[in-house]
Amino acid sequence: MIGLLLCLPAALILAAGFVWPVLLLGRISFNRTTDMGAMEEAWTLETYAKIVTDDFTWDLAWNTITLSAGAAAAAVALALPVTLLIRSAPPRWRGVLALMAVAPLLVSGTARVVGWMAILGDQGMINALLTGLGLTSQPLRLINNLTGVRIGLTESLMPYCCLVLIAGLSRLDSRLEEAAATLGATRSRTFFRVTLPLAAPALAAAFALAFVLGVSAFITPRLMGGGRVFVVATEIFDLALETVDWPAAAALAMLLLGTLVVAMVLRGVLAGREAPR
Amino acid sequence: MRRTLLAAIATIGLGVPAYAQGGGQITLQAYAGIFRDNYTQTVIAPFTAARGTAVQYHDGGTSAAMLGTLRAQRADPQIDVVIMDVTTAAIACAEGLVEKIDASTLPVIGDVDQQGREAGGECGPAVTYDHLVMVYDSRAVTPAPTSLAAMWAPEHRGRVALSAPPNIQGLALTAILAHAESGNWRNIGAAMPKLRELAPAVQTFDPNPDGYTLILNNQVRFATGWNARAQLYSDQSQGRIGVTLPQEGTVFQINTINLVANSKNRAQALAFMAHALSPEAQAAFTERMFYGPTNSRAQVSAAALGRTALAPENRSRVIGLNWSEMVRLRDSWNQRWRREVIAASSR
Repeated sequence: MIGLLLCLPAALILAAGFVWPVLLLGRISFNRTTDMGAMEEAWTLETYAKIVTDDFTWDLAWNTITLSAGAAAAAVALALPVTLLIRSAPPRWRGVLALMAVAPLLVSGTARVVGWMAILGDQGMINALLTGLGLTSQPLRLINNLTGVRIGLTESLMPYCCLVLIAGLSRLDSRLEEAAATLGATRSRTFFRVTLPLAAPALAAAFALAFVLGVSAFITPRLMGGGRVFVVATEIFDLALETVDWPAAAALAMLLLGTLVVAMVLRGVLAGREAPR
Repeated sequence: MRRTLLAAIATIGLGVPAYAQGGGQITLQAYAGIFRDNYTQTVIAPFTAARGTAVQYHDGGTSAAMLGTLRAQRADPQIDVVIMDVTTAAIACAEGLVEKIDASTLPVIGDVDQQGREAGGECGPAVTYDHLVMVYDSRAVTPAPTSLAAMWAPEHRGRVALSAPPNIQGLALTAILAHAESGNWRNIGAAMPKLRELAPAVQTFDPNPDGYTLILNNQVRFATGWNARAQLYSDQSQGRIGVTLPQEGTVFQINTINLVANSKNRAQALAFMAHALSPEAQAAFTERMFYGPTNSRAQVSAAALGRTALAPENRSRVIGLNWSEMVRLRDSWNQRWRREVIAASSR
């Protein structure tokens, strides 16, 4: 009973700040948009039908999933060595190193993206270096395209992966690695046969978190895509704030939310099956 | 109390508009940034000084965001007057978020030119005219270009920023090209080959923060823009940003001024609208920011008028685009841009 009472404030905040707005969003998704853009109160599935039968929606879904999965995988791959370094560091340094790994989260996402735009732009630091060294005659196109979005999204997801991996890897029993080494395993063999399998659940959790954040990412695709990268989040923005088609924006948002919920439930079910009994 | 009542009766009896009483406060929702700064100085401050009515300026962001605010406040509006793009205002009007209004309620509407009266439909009339221009880096592009064709020149490949639809600049550019190629702004098929040809030269289809800044940062040499801001930024940059009304023509972007339905300060709001549409306020804002005046009685200097599309030498180049019709075409144009133009712009 006390536990339930303690949960009540958080539950009320969640209900007011998330559940109620989502319900309102769901209600708007059943409204109708007239030819001239006005929203009419209705209970219709017209908007959902239009979205689901539009080939562009499936292109959007594919772009979003592949972009997010790729960026999440890259972020996990880059975060893993950082986390292993933190784990192997002397205990007094671990806190400082962990803070450095997640420090980008202390800076606004928009500011970080603007920073990347300055670094990767045609007149940016990297292109200035490459052309200055004579390695390229023309600036490499690292921004305003999918490459730029991949770089920016990977960087923005890395700190989250580091957080999850730091928590997950801290629970690994280092005596198992020591035992492998004692039995003659090389460092690489120990890593691939002992550390990596033990870290798999943390890696999967980091990937899942990064993937979900990547699917809903908006700032990076918007600012670094140059209008060439279409994902679900940018489309929702355009529908809501350019064409002012709120029912379509709401329906697409509900479909995205539903897909993510199903994906997370499936992941939970699969993880439950794989867990030791 | 008795004195107030008598004053009210006297006012009605004399046929003076109800908004003639001064004092009070209203909330105006309009664009942020330099629009706010200049509108406050040239229109709002004189109104407050003359009537003693305070005007709270609410930064509305884009017109679509302002519509969102109006929708959210439908049951209890906190905004009294809103200035927004004509297409979004038409949606607000259709949804009953702004009041239907005519010259019997707001006599100054009679002084607004025909286009301005028709633009607002049954709701608020046009309060500013703006138009699409080509902006360029005057240091890198010489001589000053007069045609959109300059963006197609090979030496500027990769140095062009365009706003793709559904952004209205993209729609406007498409209509101008369609008109130039076929004489009909609706004929997107005529514009598509030109746009596909330009696509590989485009650095970004979503300039951030905007085309003017990208030019000043040496990122691009050409962009599309709206005249009023472009003229102001041109002055602020000592002419670094060049502004051209292209020989292919231009289209108006119209802002209307609207009375929010169920405004709590209706009389003061109407007074502000009357002031904003008055010849004096219209002329002052044009002199400051180069939006074209909608009041046909506004006395604007030849120098300021020459920097708007209302100058006699520019009027013939304005294409009669109907934005209500454009709203219906927008989705299909957006799809064609994505599939034919942006897809052809591999970078």
